[in-house]
Amino acid sequence: MADLSLRHVSKRFGQVEVIRDLSLEIPSGEFAVFLGPSGCGKSTLLRMIAGLETLGAGEIHLGGARIDTIAPGDRGVAMVFQHYALYPHMTVRQNMAFGLRNIATPPNEIERKIADAAEMLEIAELLERKPGQLSGGQRQRVAIGRAIVKQPRAFLFDEPLSNLDAALRSRTRIELARLHQRVRATMIFVTHDQVEAMTMATRIVVMNQGRIEQIGTPMEIYQRPRTRFVAGFIGAPAMNFLPVAAVREEAGHLVVTLPGGASVTTTVPAAGLRSGAALTLGVRAEHVHPGSGAPARVDVIERLGERTLVYANLSDGSTIVYDEPGDVVLQVGETVHIAIDGAAAHLFDAQGMALHG
Amino acid sequence: MQTYQRGKSLGDRVLLAAVIGLALVWLAPIVWVIGLSFKPNEVLMHSTGGILAPPFTLKNYIDILAASSVFSWMLNSTIVAVGQTVLTLLIASLAGYGFARTNFPGRSVLFVLVLAALAVPEQAIIVPLHTMFAAADLHNTYAALIAPRLAFPFGVLLMTQYFRAIPPEIDEAALLDRASRIKIFFRIILPLSIPAQATLGIYTFLHAWNEYFWPLVSATKPAMYTLTVGLASMQTNFAQTEGIGFLMAQAVFAGLPVLILYLFFQRHIIAAVAGGPIK
Repeated sequence: MADLSLRHVSKRFGQVEVIRDLSLEIPSGEFAVFLGPSGCGKSTLLRMIAGLETLGAGEIHLGGARIDTIAPGDRGVAMVFQHYALYPHMTVRQNMAFGLRNIATPPNEIERKIADAAEMLEIAELLERKPGQLSGGQRQRVAIGRAIVKQPRAFLFDEPLSNLDAALRSRTRIELARLHQRVRATMIFVTHDQVEAMTMATRIVVMNQGRIEQIGTPMEIYQRPRTRFVAGFIGAPAMNFLPVAAVREEAGHLVVTLPGGASVTTTVPAAGLRSGAALTLGVRAEHVHPGSGAPARVDVIERLGERTLVYANLSDGSTIVYDEPGDVVLQVGETVHIAIDGAAAHLFDAQGMALHG
Repeated sequence: MQTYQRGKSLGDRVLLAAVIGLALVWLAPIVWVIGLSFKPNEVLMHSTGGILAPPFTLKNYIDILAASSVFSWMLNSTIVAVGQTVLTLLIASLAGYGFARTNFPGRSVLFVLVLAALAVPEQAIIVPLHTMFAAADLHNTYAALIAPRLAFPFGVLLMTQYFRAIPPEIDEAALLDRASRIKIFFRIILPLSIPAQATLGIYTFLHAWNEYFWPLVSATKPAMYTLTVGLASMQTNFAQTEGIGFLMAQAVFAGLPVLILYLFFQRHIIAAVAGGPIK
């Protein structure tokens, strides 16, 4: 299978620069997820790989060959669209056969490929139906089937789960992960849903304003976000950000003070940082521990069953969210004391770049 | 039924009464024409009333089958209406696809010009049209009867709007399936636009079948008359006709193809007139 390589790719829509000098290598067989908020350019990038958008500048290579100069149908990619884009007047079988007929595949081979894909996706009994007679989940499978039969060098998925209900979305995530293990093709999946990215990706490409913020495995992105944007975008609930000041050094590591006076010893080397520098402390809910430390007033309690999220206001009014067990006894308005696990906390400078230990 | 009756407001009842009243007003002359067509001409010389009272006859229809030019006029009308319908569908669909899916310089200006053409009445261009076709020596040909209506702005507008409503992702999926633009148009887009094609086709056919002004100008030889022009020529030469009953039978005969078309495509015609999609 192929390596996908994007080299200094740019794209403008009128005055708006949607992709800014972006370079990216996706090794063969990866499940890469382009993750970012609406308008970050992730779908545009996918469409440029497919050939549905022209490039402003740069080159795209697939399997060592340049593909941005050739027609979409000749690139060896298959795409699953957000709204599936099945041909409404054709049966499922005709939908899957259309692309194969266009490249003059022998009829018996077409039938074999359709039968294989239909069996894999459990849609064999739907082959004679038209898209209008299928549920959302079934349409989704057919759209994937239409891509599979072409045996493309790369699969492109443009937010294909966004029209499914929560239960079906979760099931389809697992099926897509299985499909990837089975066909071992390069897959590129665009989504704004960080859960989809975390659960399916072998590599996440976090995008913001037409640029790549960070590339890494899901756990790398989660545990070592390179920027404040990535830290805030990945994880639910979102990471807590608190304005802090660097106060002193302790065994070479930086100690910062929270609003309210409590101090946190981080793993960030103190060298090069002046005392009093304005920084942002980032900490996930699971790394905030109740019991001792800074006082805070409980504002909102969200019970999720196995865990409870507690939103509490610190003395300066900033809100911090932390984890409690599902059955915790707690009232809104109660005062709690919270401590931050310095080893798991992140520090970001004024430009939003992470200071790593 | 009871629930339906109870649910009706006074406004609905007034509306229903008005619709029935209007339908009767429209139906009355048609019933009269049909009635007269079954009456002997001698009786009609004295009175055209009493259409429900005997005597009745089929002679008028037998005379049509035996003698008149109605068949050749009907053939002309059929050739013109079918030709115009097929070509209008093709041209309007291709133009609509171009406007809806391709981005070429001057597209907006061109589209506005097409829309502006909706405001030009046929009568305003009849003289230059006549001059052009005369200069090309095309009068009294099917080409002359068909061609002037082919650039049909309403058709282009209808197809453009319809194609715009088809998600572009479907074209893109077909592009990735290695289909050419032409193949996408004929294999994907045209089949998906059948409801709009039916609407436009029926509208064009009925209009072409009933068209009177241009055929009157262009077809001056009786052999090239369309049905409307032919029938009108008989009416204006009233003294030479074989009687009112025969004339009425011709009118009924002329209306039959349209009636049959209506019966077959009733749903599409109603949708076309109401401007909504077919349920």
